[in-house]
Amino acid sequence: MQKNALYILLADDDEDDRLFFKDAFEEIKIQTNVDFVHDGMQLMDHLNDPENKLPDILFLDLNMPKKTGKECLIEIKKTERLKNIIIAIYSTSSSEEDIEDTFIQGANIYIKKPSDFNTLKKIINEVVTVNWHYHTSGLNRDNFLLRLK
Amino acid sequence: MKWIPNFNSSNSLRVIFVIAVFILLFLSSIAYKHNQDLNESSKLVMHTYEINIQLERLMSAIKDAETGQRGYIITRNGRFLAPYLYSRDKVNASFITLKKLTADNPIQQRNLENLFKLIIQRFVSFENCLKYSDPKTYDKRKLDNYMFGGRILMENIRFQVDKMNDIEKKYLENRLKIYDQEISLSPIFSISLFLTALTFILLAYRQISRDFERLKVFNKKLLISSGLMAESEIIGKFSTWQWDLDSNKIDYSDNQFRILGVEPNSFVPEKETFLDFVHPDDKDAVAASMQGIIEKKNLPFIYYKIARPDHEIRHFKSTGKLLTDQQGSKILLGINFDITDEHLLNIELQERNRELEKSNKELASFNHVASHDLQEPLRKIQTFISRVSDADKAVMSDSAREYLSKIESSAKRMRVLIDDLLLFSRTNTTKKEFIKSNLNELLENAESELTEIIHEKKAVITATKLPKLDVIPYQIEQLFINLIGNSLKYSQPGRIPEIIVESEKVLSAAYPDLLEQTTKKFHKITFSDNGMGFDPQFKETIFVLFQRLHSKTDYPGTGIGLAICKKIVENHKGHILADSIPGKGSVFTVFLPD
Repeated sequence: MQKNALYILLADDDEDDRLFFKDAFEEIKIQTNVDFVHDGMQLMDHLNDPENKLPDILFLDLNMPKKTGKECLIEIKKTERLKNIIIAIYSTSSSEEDIEDTFIQGANIYIKKPSDFNTLKKIINEVVTVNWHYHTSGLNRDNFLLRLK
Repeated sequence: MKWIPNFNSSNSLRVIFVIAVFILLFLSSIAYKHNQDLNESSKLVMHTYEINIQLERLMSAIKDAETGQRGYIITRNGRFLAPYLYSRDKVNASFITLKKLTADNPIQQRNLENLFKLIIQRFVSFENCLKYSDPKTYDKRKLDNYMFGGRILMENIRFQVDKMNDIEKKYLENRLKIYDQEISLSPIFSISLFLTALTFILLAYRQISRDFERLKVFNKKLLISSGLMAESEIIGKFSTWQWDLDSNKIDYSDNQFRILGVEPNSFVPEKETFLDFVHPDDKDAVAASMQGIIEKKNLPFIYYKIARPDHEIRHFKSTGKLLTDQQGSKILLGINFDITDEHLLNIELQERNRELEKSNKELASFNHVASHDLQEPLRKIQTFISRVSDADKAVMSDSAREYLSKIESSAKRMRVLIDDLLLFSRTNTTKKEFIKSNLNELLENAESELTEIIHEKKAVITATKLPKLDVIPYQIEQLFINLIGNSLKYSQPGRIPEIIVESEKVLSAAYPDLLEQTTKKFHKITFSDNGMGFDPQFKETIFVLFQRLHSKTDYPGTGIGLAICKKIVENHKGHILADSIPGKGSVFTVFLPD
């Protein structure tokens, strides 16, 4: 594991998506460590284990078995040790309801899974290079959903 | 309480009668007084005559004495002296009677005393005359003196008697005059009183006969209305009952018996009889609410079941109110409705509602499936295609490259279809929050959404002032995007697209076939373009889902855009129309309620 690299955690049950994600991170020129969990239960176990380092950015799929992304989000925001983790929702859904709900529950950004690998790379690049302190303080409903220019 | 007709006249009748009775009482008391007065005056007349007679008797006694004395003086025969001797007694007796009769009159008493003195003097004079006429003591000069003095005394006595008689007469005359005045006044007075009483009685009679006529009319109306009531109870399947709380008497309308499944008046209703018909499940609730009416004075609708004697179950709805009638007695009025038909219909409706809810849920889950599960594999296909690098493509055969590009474009089309379908279904299912919005702002948002294509086509969009309306903002924005997007898409090659958005207020009455007439005013917003237009025979069908007028290759699209427009306008209870002249342009007209 490289030191000073960003620690990224992706919670997604889809194997292909994890593969795309891994490949995309390998191709961008930023030093990152990427870890994966396969469902909500595993995610919470991982985060609640004090042995594990907390991620700098958590990419959270909403539609997961055992525990959904929304449930995880609520749990994380309720837990004192975890509530400051930057959370990027990473979902196929673009329904208003999902966007609204996760915004209210305190997610930092909402990413609709792209259907193009190059777009994915651009998105990931954008998210990991954002100055999160600045972004979080100016967070509102309009810039919550990530749109690429 | 105004529900019983008011007969005001009974009070005035009472007043008239009381007045008439008082007048009659007054009249009879006057008649009684008259009688008394008459009696009094006749007594008075008698009294006066008695005094008169006694005075005359007194007079004649003295005259007798005088005559007797004269006879004796002339003849010296002692027999002539007898009347003289008796006359003294007669005078005394009369005098006593007169004294009694005039006891109430001091003037007459004084006169009587004077008279008595004169009479005594007269008798002294008699004695002297006898003395000086006696041959033994004869003195002609003295005898002449006394005889002459007697003559004068007699005249004085006469005068005194006449005076007394006059006083009595005058007194009588005065009294009679007063009575005469009283009597002469009263006949006119009593006749007029009698006439007044008669008038009052006649008035009362007229009032009574008028009331009687009114009563007859009311009675007739009452008969008609009670007949109508009974008929309407049968038609409307309801019934009424009254419970007089004071007399504790309960009346059922005929239909009350019928809806309970028995013949009218087949039993005498009592407080508990109704409960016998109530289904055992509801007995407690109905009993409690009947008690509740008395306490709360009215009864909110209660719903319960009735078990008829033939075991048929009917559903009832009841209400009641405590009324106070004109006489102040409390009457509990109850109304029962047989709502069995409605109840069954309701159950059917509820069943259908449940089905609808179920199918709505299914639709929502379809929505979910479309948004997640259908998109997932498609996204993968597209991502995997994007992962095939140009280097990979270079080593492929031409046909493989061709196939790959066809897979790519089909996947793209699939994506557009899914997105549009989702949009269409969300137009219907997402919550509809109406917010007062400036349509000009929404139009600006729509234009900024379409910036790219507007720039590319150098389109000119002109908009007049649009109204502020209660709308679902994102839907109206979508409507504007779709309509303007449509115009831009089907613009005339080689001509700069011009789109004019105009708005005016219209009355729904001007479009009776199109618009909901319950809303009076609508805003008619028109989108006119100079595009290629379409054959007007399709002006209805272009709003149908998946309906396309052009081939996919010329104009890519899903045929959902205008269907969404129609849905959005319908969500706002408006109407959308399209018309066109091919080659000149199209006009889309949106009506939105004010």
